[in-house]
Amino acid sequence: MNRLYDMEPRVMDDEMLKLAVGEQGPRDEARQLAKQEGILFKDVLSLQLDFQNILRIDNLWQFENLRKLQLDNNIIEKIEGLENLTRLVWLDLSFNNIEAIEGLDTLVNLEDLSLFNNRISKIDSLDALVKLQVLSLGNNQIGNMMNIIYLRRFKDLRTLSLSGNPVAEAEDYRTFICAYLPDLVYLDFRRIDDHMKELAEMKHQCSVDELKHQESLMQAQLEDEQARWEELEGHKAAFVEHLNGPFLFDSMYAEDVEGSQLSHLPGVGELVQTYKDKFVIVCLNIFESGLKQQEKRKAELDTFMGCVQEAVQEKQEQGKHKIAKFEEKHLLTLSSIQDESELTNFEIKMAEHSEDITELVNVLVTLEMQLVEQLEETINMFERNIIDLVGLFVENVQSLMAQCRDLENHHHEKLLEIAISTREKIVKGELDEDLPDAVRPLFVDKDTIVNAVGASHDIHLLKIDNREDELVTRVNSWCAHLVDKIHKDEIMRNRRRMKEINQYVDHVQSELDRLECSDLLD
Amino acid sequence: MEVLKEKVEEEEEAERAERAEKMMRPMEVRKEDTTRTQEMLRDLERKLSEIEVSIPEKPSTFTKDAIDTSKLPLSYQSNTPKEEHLLQVADNFSRQYSHLCPDRVPLFLYPVNECNVPKFVSTTIRPTLMPYPELYNWDTCAQFVSDFLSAVPLPDPLKPPSYLYSSTMVLKHQEGNCFDFSTLLCSVLLGAGYDAYCVYGYGSQDLCHMDLTREVCPLTVKPKEMVKEEEKAPPKKYAVKPPRDLTSRFEREQEVKRQEGVKAEEEKRLKPGERLAEQESAKTDPLHGLRVHSWVLVLSGKREVPESFFIDPFTARSYSTQDDHFLGIESLWNHKNYWVNMQDCWNCCKDLVFDLGDPVRWEYLLLETDKPLLSLTEEEDDGTNDDDDAENLGKEDEDKSFDMPCSWVERIEISPEAFETRCPNGKKVIQYKRARLEKWAPYLNNNGLVCRLTTYEDLECTKILEIKEWFQNREDMLELKHINKVTGLNIDYFKPGHPQALRVHSYTSMQPEMDRVMEFYEKVRVDGLIKREETPRTMTEYYQGRPDLLSYRHVNFGPRIKKLALNSAESNPRPVVKITERFFRNPAKPADEDVAERVFLILDERIQLRYHCREDHLTASKREFLWRTEGDSKGNKIIMMPDMCLSFEVEPMEHTKKLLYQYEAMMKVKNEEKLARHQAWESELEVLEILKLREEEEEARALTISIYDTKRNEKSKEYREAMERMMHEEHLWQAEAQLDYLAPFLAQLPPGEKLTRWQAVRLKDECLSDFKQRLIDKANLIQAWFEKETQELQKQQQWYQENQVTLTPEDEDLYLSYCSQAMFRIRVLEQRLNRHKELAPLKYLALEEKLYKDPRLVELLKVFV
Repeated sequence: MNRLYDMEPRVMDDEMLKLAVGEQGPRDEARQLAKQEGILFKDVLSLQLDFQNILRIDNLWQFENLRKLQLDNNIIEKIEGLENLTRLVWLDLSFNNIEAIEGLDTLVNLEDLSLFNNRISKIDSLDALVKLQVLSLGNNQIGNMMNIIYLRRFKDLRTLSLSGNPVAEAEDYRTFICAYLPDLVYLDFRRIDDHMKELAEMKHQCSVDELKHQESLMQAQLEDEQARWEELEGHKAAFVEHLNGPFLFDSMYAEDVEGSQLSHLPGVGELVQTYKDKFVIVCLNIFESGLKQQEKRKAELDTFMGCVQEAVQEKQEQGKHKIAKFEEKHLLTLSSIQDESELTNFEIKMAEHSEDITELVNVLVTLEMQLVEQLEETINMFERNIIDLVGLFVENVQSLMAQCRDLENHHHEKLLEIAISTREKIVKGELDEDLPDAVRPLFVDKDTIVNAVGASHDIHLLKIDNREDELVTRVNSWCAHLVDKIHKDEIMRNRRRMKEINQYVDHVQSELDRLECSDLLD
Repeated sequence: MEVLKEKVEEEEEAERAERAEKMMRPMEVRKEDTTRTQEMLRDLERKLSEIEVSIPEKPSTFTKDAIDTSKLPLSYQSNTPKEEHLLQVADNFSRQYSHLCPDRVPLFLYPVNECNVPKFVSTTIRPTLMPYPELYNWDTCAQFVSDFLSAVPLPDPLKPPSYLYSSTMVLKHQEGNCFDFSTLLCSVLLGAGYDAYCVYGYGSQDLCHMDLTREVCPLTVKPKEMVKEEEKAPPKKYAVKPPRDLTSRFEREQEVKRQEGVKAEEEKRLKPGERLAEQESAKTDPLHGLRVHSWVLVLSGKREVPESFFIDPFTARSYSTQDDHFLGIESLWNHKNYWVNMQDCWNCCKDLVFDLGDPVRWEYLLLETDKPLLSLTEEEDDGTNDDDDAENLGKEDEDKSFDMPCSWVERIEISPEAFETRCPNGKKVIQYKRARLEKWAPYLNNNGLVCRLTTYEDLECTKILEIKEWFQNREDMLELKHINKVTGLNIDYFKPGHPQALRVHSYTSMQPEMDRVMEFYEKVRVDGLIKREETPRTMTEYYQGRPDLLSYRHVNFGPRIKKLALNSAESNPRPVVKITERFFRNPAKPADEDVAERVFLILDERIQLRYHCREDHLTASKREFLWRTEGDSKGNKIIMMPDMCLSFEVEPMEHTKKLLYQYEAMMKVKNEEKLARHQAWESELEVLEILKLREEEEEARALTISIYDTKRNEKSKEYREAMERMMHEEHLWQAEAQLDYLAPFLAQLPPGEKLTRWQAVRLKDECLSDFKQRLIDKANLIQAWFEKETQELQKQQQWYQENQVTLTPEDEDLYLSYCSQAMFRIRVLEQRLNRHKELAPLKYLALEEKLYKDPRLVELLKVFV
């Protein structure tokens, strides 16, 4: 902890890393090879850099595949530069001068973390380390017992060391940890015996239970949210989110100042209520049909995918079979060619085999071309069907939306009527009820009231139109995207297959050529 | 043929007439009938005398004389009044029947039993449910009856017997005729809940003589392979269209035609020979249609029997009611009633309708209410029925409420031993067409053989084709041995539980390194081996469920190198030339790193690896390692050269190009080669071991005895006896423990009164003092013995010292032996005395303690403690 800077701090440069890699690399004969070729940093699995007087962690970004990193007994003050080492399983940073836990957020595979003998005073920033099994935090400056509760989130944590911290001096240190971390097996390098567990349970049962209760509540809340979110996602996939209730209707009135003002008129309240009821029913209709259509589309897509998969699989089996057959023959021919001593025979055989290879290419390519044709036909058919389905859905939605508009128009007329009659009453002074002050200015003259009602109507219509447009554009774009993707996937598949065939044939041909070369050399 | 048939018919008629005359009482018979029959009678008598009827000799060892009737129960020896009444009813029925149907043979109604008492046939049936679960279904019941009894032909093959013994008697003697068989079987089936009937009718010769030589053995018939027609799933909406077929349809048709022609020709060539042989064996029977037989009919309905069928009790085979072997039915009965067939049997039993509720077709003896009446779907009027007046048979004079009396037969009982032994003497032989079946009771043969089926090539049964032997209770779990005499192939089948988990072992010789296949119960084996095939040069193993996912290993061996010092086969294993290993796909690894096949070419120093194919790929990666052990031109050892590893990668990767990677991979594979070779060697050893074990097992022929088999299991018997003994001892001990030490003292007190405290204290003291006295007495006794012995010894010693000089060596010996014995006795007494001295106070204390705790005294003594 109080190590002096008795030596010059060193920088983690390429040279140091290379040296370490070279020293810790393969042994014996393999070392010669390694020297000959050099080792790429990204192939290194384990690296040991202890007692190097390192002050700053640096230059480690190349070690992508590193599993084990030892940086103990240095003078590191800050955890940094480890972001790229996502495969790290074991990290040793003991005997350094680290003050805070940080910079570990990308190391999701870490199982063993040692921060022994540092200056850490708080346990946190370990959230990403879901696989953590061993945590060593001895000889630090952790003083708050509540830090231990933070460790409850690590379900796999089995070994913990905290001795040498201020917390360890507390009287009920062991029982507290045992009670709050019941899955722990080793604490401070000693196995937790059953007696200890019982004792701990007795002592802290109340508080632990309370904590558990809170945790379960939180968990339930989280799950609830998750479920709701998923449901909404499902609705979104069907393009009918927020249509299973009065959301649309409410949004229509949300920005409608006049509308809300007008609702204070006598009789309008009931009118709006009935209007809302009817509107919601239509919305629900849209919602239902949307979900149904979504299911239909999904089923259609599934059948299509299944069929395509089947067809591809079948051709693949045929191709594999052909290749297996060829391979057998190929091996025999190669060995027979090798054994051939006479030049003429040799050449004849070579030619024959070349022909065989060409034949194989033909067969494979024919299969592929057949498949391409078949799939093209199927894809076109699917495209037609899915577009039809989407069209149907859109038509359906549009007709339902038209109903909404009709309702709105109807409502508008009624409202207008009421407004005008009210106005007349006001003019005649027959109005019984008092109108709110905000509404009164609307009735100064006829135009104003008509304009107000009209404005409200326009806003409503706009909302409905917008929703409709959104739905239609989204479903259409989904459709276009899907079809596009299917076409692209098919093209990609075809290219991959052709590439594979070519590669294989090249390989076979090169084997044959090698024979020729060797023979010529002989 | 035709003539013969006629003859038979005439004969039949004549006989019927004869019998009719004998049986018929002078009653109102229509005149023309009488004259006709009498004329024909004379006419036919002549003809009859010309025909020779071969009556099979009756090898009856089981006659009435042999039965001691006096020991039988009373119900066997006499009739109850109800039975007498029944007999009268039957007699009446029979008279009316013979009157109304004069041209039919008399009914089989009340034959005499073993005590010469007439008994009605229905009462001879005793429905019994057997206590063996094996006897719950009809097939096993029939098999049991046919196995358990040995068949005796009828005394007269053309008449039913004049007697019908009880089933208990038949079971005791284990033999009987077809009527005995069917009565017993019917009793068992009725007990098991089947709707079964005894049938008296006519059967074919094969049936009556229990001749199966023209039948194919049911065990040799291979179960027809169920050709599962795969249901073609309806083509899916987006199923791709198959590519256009460009071959000629005409050519295909021509090809099919040509092949059919070839097949037909071959068949023609094969057939005639076989047909000839068949004909030769089938001789026509002169008594066809006249042979009396009895069998069992099971009607549909009860016990989920879907269709009525016959069971031949001799052979335990079931036949459909349309079978050719059954030529006619006279009557049938169960334990409740008796029905006479009124339908014509001109076409055997094929047209018979088994609707017993139909009085036109089936004339019943007793009026019954619980029989299903005529089913409505039947047409009322049947033209073939020629006994129209039969339905007028007077039922009205019978007592309507009269029902069948209980069976006179005792409970049918079969002892477990008899049930296990089954066949008489535990052995049975059945001759089938080209096959011979022998059966033995379990534990009869000391090698556990229970069944042997020998199949022959020809009808005369001279050339053995194959032998199948079934075993039971073998310690080595051998179940079936199949020996093919033509190819010399032996196949042994084992039940689960063989020490080496062997399932099937097929071999031609027990020598190692020959053709053989061993199959295993792979779940039992740690290495998951399913099958190991061997030929002289190869060994192939199939695996399943291994953690390393190995599925197949094929080893090629080279010729054995001759060594100068020939030791034994084990020390000189065959050199391994090539090992091929295949693996299942390991889903945890990417396909390019998951090896599918490894080939070790050991002599070439070459290893070929083939990887698994990626899911959407046609080709798989390959890698080949070749290494050279010789150094390069400078004499340096070559570690790795680019041409030592040839690889083809589906998707070329960077790191695999590195020599280091290749070197490491090669080293790994080399290690694996060593392992594979070792495993091949171990497999060879295991084969040797198994062969040795098998030989030992064959020699030992040990049979296991189930722990539930209380009779045979010596160990369990011993254990049981030991347990009993222990129980007995414990009982004695307990009795002793319960000895009431207070009883003699309590007896002195007036009975029935509650103890006072004073009495209790006195009781306790008395008891203790008594015990103390006893202890002192015992000590004194031992002391006295001790003293006596010592004195004796001293006397002897004195005597010896006095007479030492004159003693003969024998006397001296005598003296010395006496001394040693006396010393021994003294020592023992001394020890006992010491022990007693030690234990006496403890015993005394123990008794005191016990007295304090005695429930009778505890209350009263508590105060003082």
